[in-house]
Amino acid sequence: MAEVKVKQESADAADIESRIRELCQQFPHGITDQVIQNDMPHVEAQQRAMAINRLLSVGQLDLLRNSSGLLYRLKDTQAASKMKGSDNQEKLVYQVIEDAGNKGIWSRDIRYKSNLPLTEINKILKNLENKKLIKAVKSVAASKKKVYMLYNLQPDRSVTGGAWYSDQDFESEFVEVLNQQCFKFLQSKAEAARDSKQSPMVQRNSSFATSHEVWKYISELGISKVELSMEDIETILNTLIYDGKVEMTIIAAKEGTVGSVDGQVKLYRGVNPIIQPTGLVRTPCGLCPVFEDCCDGGEISPSTCTYMTEWLDF
Amino acid sequence: MNGEIKKMTGTSAGPALVKSRCHLQVKKSLCVLVQHGMCVFGSGRRGPGGPTEYRCLVERILYTLRFPRYIYTAKSLYGDTGELIVEEVLQRGEMTMSSVVKTVADRLTHNMEDGRSMDYSEVISAFSSLVDTHFLQRCLAACGKGNAATSSEKTPNSSAATPESLTDCYKLPQINLRGRGKRRRSSGDSDVDQRGGKRAKLENKEVNRTLCGDEGVFWQVNFERFHLHFRDQAIISAVASKMDQTSSEIVRTMLRISEMTTQPNAAYTQPLSANEIFRALPASYNISRSTLDQYLTLLVDDPMEFVGKSGDSGGGMYVVNLHKALANLARATLESVVQERFGSRSARIFRLLLRKRHLEQKQVEDFAMIPAKEAKDMLYTLLSENLVQLQEIPKTPDHAPSRTFYLYTVNQLPTARMLLQHCYKTVGNLIERRLFETRENKRHLEKSQRIEAILASLQVSGAEPAQLTEVEEMITAPERQQLEALKHHINKMDSSENQVDETIFLLESYISSTKTSH
Repeated sequence: MAEVKVKQESADAADIESRIRELCQQFPHGITDQVIQNDMPHVEAQQRAMAINRLLSVGQLDLLRNSSGLLYRLKDTQAASKMKGSDNQEKLVYQVIEDAGNKGIWSRDIRYKSNLPLTEINKILKNLENKKLIKAVKSVAASKKKVYMLYNLQPDRSVTGGAWYSDQDFESEFVEVLNQQCFKFLQSKAEAARDSKQSPMVQRNSSFATSHEVWKYISELGISKVELSMEDIETILNTLIYDGKVEMTIIAAKEGTVGSVDGQVKLYRGVNPIIQPTGLVRTPCGLCPVFEDCCDGGEISPSTCTYMTEWLDF
Repeated sequence: MNGEIKKMTGTSAGPALVKSRCHLQVKKSLCVLVQHGMCVFGSGRRGPGGPTEYRCLVERILYTLRFPRYIYTAKSLYGDTGELIVEEVLQRGEMTMSSVVKTVADRLTHNMEDGRSMDYSEVISAFSSLVDTHFLQRCLAACGKGNAATSSEKTPNSSAATPESLTDCYKLPQINLRGRGKRRRSSGDSDVDQRGGKRAKLENKEVNRTLCGDEGVFWQVNFERFHLHFRDQAIISAVASKMDQTSSEIVRTMLRISEMTTQPNAAYTQPLSANEIFRALPASYNISRSTLDQYLTLLVDDPMEFVGKSGDSGGGMYVVNLHKALANLARATLESVVQERFGSRSARIFRLLLRKRHLEQKQVEDFAMIPAKEAKDMLYTLLSENLVQLQEIPKTPDHAPSRTFYLYTVNQLPTARMLLQHCYKTVGNLIERRLFETRENKRHLEKSQRIEAILASLQVSGAEPAQLTEVEEMITAPERQQLEALKHHINKMDSSENQVDETIFLLESYISSTKTSH
């Protein structure tokens, strides 16, 4: 009788594992312990645990935690094959890096998460880099910091700085050129609208340009080697707003109209400044670097001011 | 002399403190200041039995800067007659209507061709239009002004002794003044006149002494009214540059209609219906009713919010947002100062902080798209000039720097006050420099004046041209050049004082508008 029981157990064990695997395939998001229990109520908790552990060690199941408890998910077999040659520590480090997604993770953070000593970490990282499983990317925020991420992932914008950075250098001339081009486009549109001499409402509406139009214009100009998205163009247009040359309004648009984001479309328009440069800055005192030190009878005084002398003779 | 007295009577002091000067001179200077309304007096801290105390009104003294602007405004609104009327009243401080009319008529007649003279009635009509639009107002009686000085000790009810509290503040007195302006005789006839002139002069004096019916009724310039006019002008020109001419005309019409009905410190004009605006538009602008409605809608939708809509009756009720317009103009002034002084990228950072209120260093760099090093440099420069402030928000109670948020921010009102102080100092510097230049070249000026006097007398006594050229050559060419340069310098400094005064006006209006609304 004992033999039969043992045999049944081993047969059961294999059955349990395959059943668990099927359940995982049914629920690709992962299954909890509860689901397995419901499916096979006759199986004892210990047997269940053994089956799960075996699947985990073989590397066919992934263990995840969510708010309600533990989840078991079928692991991607392709990914499973990659780690064939590595040992557990490497697998752990690889998992930590994978979890970091495309933002990458710093070596110190890897150490915290995996609790491995520094020398081990460095060896493992070198191994993984040689196997071309991970890569190091220099972060733009702190130029000495290196973050690691999976080999085939694109680094996130916050790390490389997006379209405005090329090799950690902020490309100010590129931004300036784009700035001027956008402004010229909006200004010519506004002038065309003003010259058309139609009713004022039509004039104003035709002087507006959506961010999508500006994006198309800039892309067609071809001054950018890098592909620019609409958000990039919107950041450039925002700097024009902060220069006081452009104003923006948001209107509601139907979903699906070209260029609309969340049912809104941003419109930009070139504007004129409301006052001329103010009176104070037309005098030398308004721009004087030593204004605070200037006093009557002192070394720097209005009577002896060289800036005033030059300005008066102008 | 007046300057010294002004320094001393900054708060309240008696003439006893100025012992070093001649007592009579002090009294005369105080009289001049009181006449111009720059100084008030009253019973002092020791009560009615003690010495009278004098207090100077700093704002009135500073209005002196703006006299050219007042005169120019009167000229543009009421022609040469108005200009001369305002100039006379400003020079004398306060005058009766009859004396104003006579003096102005005489001056105008002097500038006219021979044989023509200015009728008093024309001057009277110009005067009455100035009074009707409240540019001139009656002065308080002398004792009334004295009470105003000590009113701070009395209850608030009696402290409002302003000219407006007089019920007939703008009522013209009945005067019986008829005649024409008298031409001032040229100096050539003065000898002939002197003998028979004494009798003529006596006769004139008697004519002048006939009572015109307005003794004791003195008129002064209503500065507040001029300031409201300047404010309206600033708003109209801002609308014109931001939008177009027609919009600014519409705003001008709106402000014109509500000139009399709006309180001086109101935040909005009275609501005006679109029908009223349409009827009141100048005849030269014949735009259709629908176009007017479109322009009004555009004005309302504009982010600057010059005009607001307060209701829908009568085709839409619209108001002009006065306080908001002033705030926008003040903000544009601040931005322009930063731009001219520190460059357009610093101006970008400044505008960014004005919009977004509080930002961290990193956010400033990202929004303004300026490389980190340069952005840091610019922010620190603005911080050292106190145009930008730093706000600390600690994460932990011990305010450790590594665990604290540092946010940059711009406060518009304190920055405006600081710039106003800069403007005052600038004007002081310009005046200082002008006086210095005049002092340096005093010798040349005196010489040229003497030579001109010699020339004039020679011409009158019929000298030969050779003598005249000889006298003219007494001024050498380099001296002439120097005098030309001096004139050029002084003109430049005068005009720049006026320009700085425009900035002062905008900032002052903005600051006083915030005082009343909070």
